[in-house]
Amino acid sequence: MNIDPEINPEETDMTQTQIPQLAKNNSSVRLAQMQMFSADSYATLVAAEPAIITSHNFSLFYGDKAGVKDVTMDIYPRSVTAIIGPSGCGKSTFLRSINRMNDLIPHTRAEGGLMVNGINVYDKQINLVNLRQQVGMVFQKPNPFPKSIYDNIAYGPRLQSVKRRSDLDNMVEQCLRSAALWDEVKDDLKKSALALSGGQQQRLCIARALATKPKVLLMDEPCSALDPVATGRIEELMTQLKDTYTIVIVTHNMQQAARVSERTAFFCLGELIEYDLTRTIFTNPSIKQTEDYVTGRFG
Amino acid sequence: MTIGFRQKLDALFTSISGLSVILMTAALVLVLGPILLKGASAVVFRGTVEFRQMQLELFGRGNVLDIQAETTEVEAARNEVYSIIDHFKKGIDADVQIKQARDIYREYGRQLRLRQIPSDKFTAWRQKVRKLRDALETAYTTSDEKEALEQLDFVLSQQNIPEVDDTAAGQYFQMARDYRKIVTEVGLDHKEEYADKFKQVEEIIKDIFGPRPGESTILMASEQFGMTRWDRTLFHLNRLLWVEEWVEKKPGEPLVKVQRPRVEQFAGTEMVKVFDLMEDNLQAMQHPKLTIYWQYFFDGDKTTGHFFGGVGPEILGTLLLTILSMLFAFPLGVISAAYLIECAGDNLVIRIIRTCINTLAGVPSIVFGLFGLAFWVPMISTISGNPAGSSIMAGSLTLAMLILPIIIRASEEAIRSVPHTYKEASLSLGASKLRTFVTVQFPAALPGILTGVILSMSRAAGETAPILFTAAVAVGGVPDSLFHGGTLALPYSAYNLAVGDVTGARVPHNQFGMVMTLVLLVLLLNIVAIVIRSRVSKKLLGH
Repeated sequence: MNIDPEINPEETDMTQTQIPQLAKNNSSVRLAQMQMFSADSYATLVAAEPAIITSHNFSLFYGDKAGVKDVTMDIYPRSVTAIIGPSGCGKSTFLRSINRMNDLIPHTRAEGGLMVNGINVYDKQINLVNLRQQVGMVFQKPNPFPKSIYDNIAYGPRLQSVKRRSDLDNMVEQCLRSAALWDEVKDDLKKSALALSGGQQQRLCIARALATKPKVLLMDEPCSALDPVATGRIEELMTQLKDTYTIVIVTHNMQQAARVSERTAFFCLGELIEYDLTRTIFTNPSIKQTEDYVTGRFG
Repeated sequence: MTIGFRQKLDALFTSISGLSVILMTAALVLVLGPILLKGASAVVFRGTVEFRQMQLELFGRGNVLDIQAETTEVEAARNEVYSIIDHFKKGIDADVQIKQARDIYREYGRQLRLRQIPSDKFTAWRQKVRKLRDALETAYTTSDEKEALEQLDFVLSQQNIPEVDDTAAGQYFQMARDYRKIVTEVGLDHKEEYADKFKQVEEIIKDIFGPRPGESTILMASEQFGMTRWDRTLFHLNRLLWVEEWVEKKPGEPLVKVQRPRVEQFAGTEMVKVFDLMEDNLQAMQHPKLTIYWQYFFDGDKTTGHFFGGVGPEILGTLLLTILSMLFAFPLGVISAAYLIECAGDNLVIRIIRTCINTLAGVPSIVFGLFGLAFWVPMISTISGNPAGSSIMAGSLTLAMLILPIIIRASEEAIRSVPHTYKEASLSLGASKLRTFVTVQFPAALPGILTGVILSMSRAAGETAPILFTAAVAVGGVPDSLFHGGTLALPYSAYNLAVGDVTGARVPHNQFGMVMTLVLLVLLLNIVAIVIRSRVSKKLLGH
């Protein structure tokens, strides 16, 4: 009956049940996994709370070419996790896999397991709308809609059928306050978002992403198009937001990773090379390649 | 390459592009200028008294008393011409004269009876007058000049007989005197010849002045009034004064056209006065006045050649056809474009469809017209239950097919040029593809799509071939149904005037007027679309 073995429902079921076991219970597997990382920091790497994003041997292929290969890592809630690495190393691909934005590219195929908050991301039956509402995303270039500031923020809530004006008003204010933008724009919420400055636009995008009440916020080089002042404000914002949200940030700027993140993952050529506490990665990496990269001798 | 050479190349490029801009502007002015200038004469012109009469009778405009007074004034001036013509006609047209002679005889009988003359006297008197009548009739019918003169002299010799005193029969002597003058001046040999030439003159004068007061038999609606415009009056005056002749200057060579004064044909007769009168006194007979006929854009006209009135129904029909076709083509085109971009992959079928769309955009419009005739006309008749024929619906559906490829292509380009980041942002917030398209991509692409709409709207408004068999009619008023009866339309009416043998030449102002109206209409539609587009863009850019 099933012509394509990949969509065999039994197999899908198996991975679905296996992954949580692997992630939560099978500590030997996890230890083996972690042996490649610094043994000292293992205790601190594993936070008190269970991981919110669990990737197990996750691979993503563009046609025949692998974008990311066999990535196994846990991302913990209420913290900032940075992903660094040279261009084309698959860090953005991995990030975009978490909310399945890679679907926009034709002929992509995923293998292995990727769980977000207990949902198998690459399950065929998954409700993408639910997933994306739980996993917000901020893009490299500020991309507000060509609508008013208010409508930009209200876009997400309206998708969730929030209709009442007062609810929307509250939500808009709350999100803009969370994104530290309220004081700057409260008087002209009806103005087009495109009239804002680049830094303001990016904070607006963050506010917009927050409006769907996500658990995870993915940031794909959010400051690469901004000047240092605006970057500083975004970083400040990130440190505020991490008390509530899980933030995963892809960045080319290693100082930024060092400044804002608790944990850092180093990707190279589609593979996860090293994943550890940021402090460890930048001061005492266990793998030579990582050291070369963070010290600027490579890449 | 030296710097100097490069600078020269740059300067050359700049001047060439500047020149091309100037050339394009000049071409535009050359094309549009004459059309607008000549078309304006449909609205602003010197209208004659006939125009005001037409406006009063057909559209109920103007002050009745003023126009009546003006008409009386004009009639007085025209009567001079009419009296000469009538007089001359008597000499030419024997039937009229004979009829008049018989009428007079009958009237004479009635007068005798009224006077209660005894019956024996009555018969004798009538016999005498009857002789006079017969002599006149013989004179009118004969082609022998001598006999005619004999008969007329006989009539004139009876002038003093008591039987005719104070009766209608007295008119016989005036008739005899008139005819004698013609016989001696013109000669009976030339009578037939004159009859032909006189008829031409009479027709031209009728063209200018319209039917004479009291004349009841008007065959065609276009003959209802004389020349309503002074420029046309002058054109006909020219026709009256000059005759075109083809003469052979040298034997064996092609004929040469020469203009001869028509008055030569009537040399030596009293008709000469008519030509002088017409040339010198035409202003008084027509009363030209500067007229601004702004109702031209609203008035209808039910004559085949658009002799009177304006282009109101045409404008309405063109607007209906254009707007309805846009209503069909716009949603369909945008949805098709969205499908081609968002849903369809890049496979063979889609590539074939794309090629077909591109080909359709280049198919001659007459092909669409024939398709509309073969498909939409019977289809509409089946749906609406009316007999198959032209209808606005069939025409606008045909036009919609014509402009659909243009809209699809423009929309595709516009949607494709919406930044990918908008779509990403919307999808990342959990919106579905449809919602993303409707709320984000479509509004952002709207300015570009509207550009395509502007282009296709102009095309739809100006096309003749697709509506030729599906929607357009040559004569009619305001359409009463979308499903049957068709409609007037500007491009078709302009075409119709141009090919309708003589009608186009008789109303050149209307031909240019229609083209001007079409240009203005398209301009107006474009301005509306451009305003909408700029407002949408402004809203998008947040100014």
